[in-house]
Amino acid sequence: MAFLRSLQDSAFTDWFLGSDSIWTYPTILTLHTVGMAMLVGASIVVHLRVLDVGPGFPIERVRALYNIIWTGFAINLVTGIVLFVTEAADRAVDPVFYVKLASIALALWLGVTVKRRVIDRVNAPSGTLRAARLLSLSSLGLWTVAIVAGRLMAYLKK
Amino acid sequence: MAGFSTWLESTAISKALFGVSWLWPACESLHFLGLCVLIGCAGVLDLRLMGFFRGVAIRDVKAFMPWAIAGFCVNLVTGALFLIMQPHLYLTSAVWWSKVGFIALAGLNAMCFESRLSGSALALAPDADMPTSLKIVGALSLFSWFAVLYCGRMLPYLGTGN
Repeated sequence: MAFLRSLQDSAFTDWFLGSDSIWTYPTILTLHTVGMAMLVGASIVVHLRVLDVGPGFPIERVRALYNIIWTGFAINLVTGIVLFVTEAADRAVDPVFYVKLASIALALWLGVTVKRRVIDRVNAPSGTLRAARLLSLSSLGLWTVAIVAGRLMAYLKK
Repeated sequence: MAGFSTWLESTAISKALFGVSWLWPACESLHFLGLCVLIGCAGVLDLRLMGFFRGVAIRDVKAFMPWAIAGFCVNLVTGALFLIMQPHLYLTSAVWWSKVGFIALAGLNAMCFESRLSGSALALAPDADMPTSLKIVGALSLFSWFAVLYCGRMLPYLGTGN
C-alpha cells in the first residue's frame, strides 16, 4: 500500500495530471477510449455473429477480428497501467475497479473459449453452437458491466 | 449560440433533467456502449469495403448495419440529453461542432454509399477486387467515426469545452 501511495504521490503523477499539455492525461485517456472501441467493438461483432446475426457471414472468418480485439486490449493494458499509477492508492481500495477488472478478464476468457469451441472448429455440432451462444451472451453482458464500472470510477475519484 | 445556450439551460426541462443525479452517469455509460456497438458493427462493413474479409459477400456484412444504426440512435438520444442538460459545454465549443461535422461527414458518406454505390457493391462477386470508390467510402467512414470519438473524448480538454 505504501508503494501504491508513493506511485500516486510521485513526481510523475504531478506532471501527468497537472500538465497543461493535451499530450499527457487527455491523450492517454483518449487512447484508452480508442482501445475500448477496438476491443469491445470487435468483440460485439464476434458475439453477435455467434448469436446468429449475419448468418451468411462465415463464422470462421470472424477469427480475423481477434487481431483487433488483442490490439485494443494491448492499447488498454498499457494506457490502463499509466492511468492506474496516477491513482494507485485510491483504486487499490475501490471495489468498482475490481468489478471492472474481473468483468474484463471473464469477458475475454469467454471470448477465447467461444473462439476455441466454434470459430476455430469447422462445422461445430449444433449442441456446441447452442452452448456457445450462452457464453457469447454472457460475454456481451460482462463487457457492459466493464464499461459501466469504468465510467462510474470517474465519479468515485477522491 | 451563447444566447440560445443560456435560454436552454434556464428551461424547466433542462433543470429537471440535470437535477436527476444518476441520469448523467447513466447516459455516459450508454453513450460508451452505443459507441462500441456503432464502431464495431459499422467498422466491420467499412473494413469489408476497404478490401478486408475478401470472400465474404457484402450483403452478409450488411446484416450488422441495423445494430450500427441502433448504437447510433442510443448515442443520438443520450447526446441530446447531455446537450439539453448542459448546453454551455457544447454549443459554444469548436470541438463539439467539429464532432457534429464528422458525424455529418459519416452520415453523408453512408447516404452516398446507399444511394449510389450499394447496388453495384452488392452485385460484386464475394472474392472480387474492391473498386477504389468503395475503398474510399470504407476508409472515410472508419476515419470519421474515430474522429467523432476523438472530438467527444477530448472535448473537455481542447479549446473552450471546459
